[in-house]
Amino acid sequence: MSPDPVFELPAQCVTPTAAPIVIDNGSFQTRAGWAAPAAEFDSPRLLFRSVAARSRGAARSETQIGNDIPNLEPLRWLLKSQFDRNVVVNFEIQELILDYVFTHLGLSSEGSVEHPILMTEAPCNPLHCRQMMSELLFECYRVPFVSYGVDGLYSFYHNNNQRNLQRPNTGIILSSGYHCSHILPVVNGRLDALNSKRVNVAGSQAASYLQRLLQLKYPGHLAAITLSRMEELLHGHSYAAVDYHEELEKWRCPEFYEREVHRIQLPFSGKVPGGCVSAEERQERRAQQLRRLQEINTRRREEKLQQDQERLDRFLAIQELLEDGLLDQFHKSLMELNMDSAEELQSYINKLQLAVEQGRLKLLQSDGGEGKMENCHNFSPLYGATPAFNMAEYHQLFVGTERLRCPEILFQPSLIGEDQMGLMETLQYVLARYTPEQQEALVSNVFLTGGNMQHPGMKERVERELLALRPFQSHFKVTMATRPGLDAWYGARDWALEHPAAAGAEGWISRQDYEEKGGEYLSEHCASNVFVPMKLAKPVPVRPAEPPAALQTLTGASAASATVTVAPAPSLSSDSADVNMAAS
Amino acid sequence: MASQIPITVRAQPPTASAAAVRGKKRPGSPAVSGVQQAAVNSSISGSKKKKPPLTVTPATQTQITAVETVVEMKTVGSVDSTPTTTETVVKAPPFKDNTFMHSGIGGAAAGKKNRTWKNLKQILALERTLPWKLNDPNYYNIDAPPSLKPAKKYSDISGLPANYTDPQTKLRFTSSEEFSYIRLLPTDVVTGYLTLRKATCIVP
Repeated sequence: MSPDPVFELPAQCVTPTAAPIVIDNGSFQTRAGWAAPAAEFDSPRLLFRSVAARSRGAARSETQIGNDIPNLEPLRWLLKSQFDRNVVVNFEIQELILDYVFTHLGLSSEGSVEHPILMTEAPCNPLHCRQMMSELLFECYRVPFVSYGVDGLYSFYHNNNQRNLQRPNTGIILSSGYHCSHILPVVNGRLDALNSKRVNVAGSQAASYLQRLLQLKYPGHLAAITLSRMEELLHGHSYAAVDYHEELEKWRCPEFYEREVHRIQLPFSGKVPGGCVSAEERQERRAQQLRRLQEINTRRREEKLQQDQERLDRFLAIQELLEDGLLDQFHKSLMELNMDSAEELQSYINKLQLAVEQGRLKLLQSDGGEGKMENCHNFSPLYGATPAFNMAEYHQLFVGTERLRCPEILFQPSLIGEDQMGLMETLQYVLARYTPEQQEALVSNVFLTGGNMQHPGMKERVERELLALRPFQSHFKVTMATRPGLDAWYGARDWALEHPAAAGAEGWISRQDYEEKGGEYLSEHCASNVFVPMKLAKPVPVRPAEPPAALQTLTGASAASATVTVAPAPSLSSDSADVNMAAS
Repeated sequence: MASQIPITVRAQPPTASAAAVRGKKRPGSPAVSGVQQAAVNSSISGSKKKKPPLTVTPATQTQITAVETVVEMKTVGSVDSTPTTTETVVKAPPFKDNTFMHSGIGGAAAGKKNRTWKNLKQILALERTLPWKLNDPNYYNIDAPPSLKPAKKYSDISGLPANYTDPQTKLRFTSSEEFSYIRLLPTDVVTGYLTLRKATCIVP
């Protein structure tokens, strides 16, 4: 990835009115650019992965963002994203990303960003997250106006304009991104949020599934099978089957396999597979181990033999004592040996003599045996021929049915163990909540968007499954976005051009709105979430003595003690009593 | 109230503003200020450069802040770094307000303890406590329900429809070649395949 240039701030984006900056804040990629009518602003200026590489300790200041990182893999463990699933939770990193965006767009105004900002958010974005985002934009960057919208809806808006469909539009959007896929029904130009559904399977799950499959198939290449390479494979070499079982049957046939399998050549690594080349080494090692064991055995036998011999000698000496007639000494030694009579001594002597003889025999045998073994070993290297080893082939990955299985997890999450419904089953569930007339209207404009929908064959698959779901001979139409990954940005830009920012304009939140109605306020428009007004207690810092249980309990406590007397501050803290805080 | 707090306010104009004092800007950053924290914990450090009065600085008589600004951004020392921290390597972008601190990280009073951001689970848990009505859409309402159709079985090795399951390893397979391949697999690969399907059994 080559680093992004720092663009010059174009004059027409400042005068006569400050042009809005459109930021499509995706969990995979961030796309940012100007919303200005001229042709040069037709595409997003900045397109980069939404990651920041932050190392710990002293190097923390050298954070690299997006395209500043030439290669993601060495820094994989340092990469952090502001997202948790499809929702922004880490606003420090969001701040870093916004800094990057504004710097590279050429902004240099002091103390504030003077352009209205249009950002995308998740469908049914939690209020806390919107509050934090608004706080970041209004307090830190002092933007004049902010607008939030859903990326799938912007894409829908853009494509409907392109197709000159009459407004207000009705349709159902299947949007599949990096972390989640959504089903968003749009009725008369507004999102029907209550009937929307989200399936937690999308691009990132497909990439990690592919990675695990290949790592298990090729355990020797564990480190070489990286997520970046998997994403390449997914984007370039995978496809969605129109009929999954039929397609799998095709893969059974060896000719089909030979034609369709994709051989991926990994870069050379010095690693040698454990076992192929060093057959001789293995034999050598085995021989060595055997020899060692035998040596130990013989040594042990020798020692035992020696001990027995010594004991035998002692006993014999004592017997001689008896024969010589030194009875007293004889009895004394017998007592020392803990024996009672001469017969016992004799039996011990006999046993020992037997044992000594056997030991000697065994030693002789093993010596002879060892000699034989060594002869054997000398022969084997002559006869053993190592098979011809192809280093290039060893570093090849054969990607066959995996090409088909990974996009399939969107339709059958049970492949990865998720028990949620797949995309089409969820669509059926959503449609069932409408009357048949509404269903007809919705299904006549099925719209596919999102980066994960770019697999070849997705549209045909959706059409085939929809045919199975809908009543006999009913009509439906499926459209794919013209640029599934980028259309959200284009749609947002179109919307911004058609709805210029002004105080009180539909869809725009002004600084005053933010201060009066709080950070979680949303101004609804045709491509936005539904706003359910709910007073979120604004976190107010409390005296340090108070132990913070939760943010909201903090404000509760502080509100109770009426510390806040800031005049234009939203009187949210006093309203916090309304909020049902279970924690307090 | 204010008197209880040992404040070391440094001549700030008592401009009341909407912004409340936020928590630390970056954990461990010398940009952290919040004088009440300085009083409470010695974790605040860093060379602080005072910027001319900023409108955002909230300084009501009850609020504590003498928000010190630092030409900040990228210099971060450890939390307990000495006041002689390095000056900024990278100059802060001009278009932002340098006194800004997120309120999200546990609040000013949290000090060292609540420095991490809430993750999605915690945010959703907080959301659940709000007074939603039955028909309000929110993030966890729109989760798709569990599937009503029985899951189809596919081979763990090749992905083809599987009719058989190995009783020893519990892996699914389609043919005898696959079966012999399964029987030769090391245990970690077997566990890997089962984990992919979320079929690993905790009870042996």
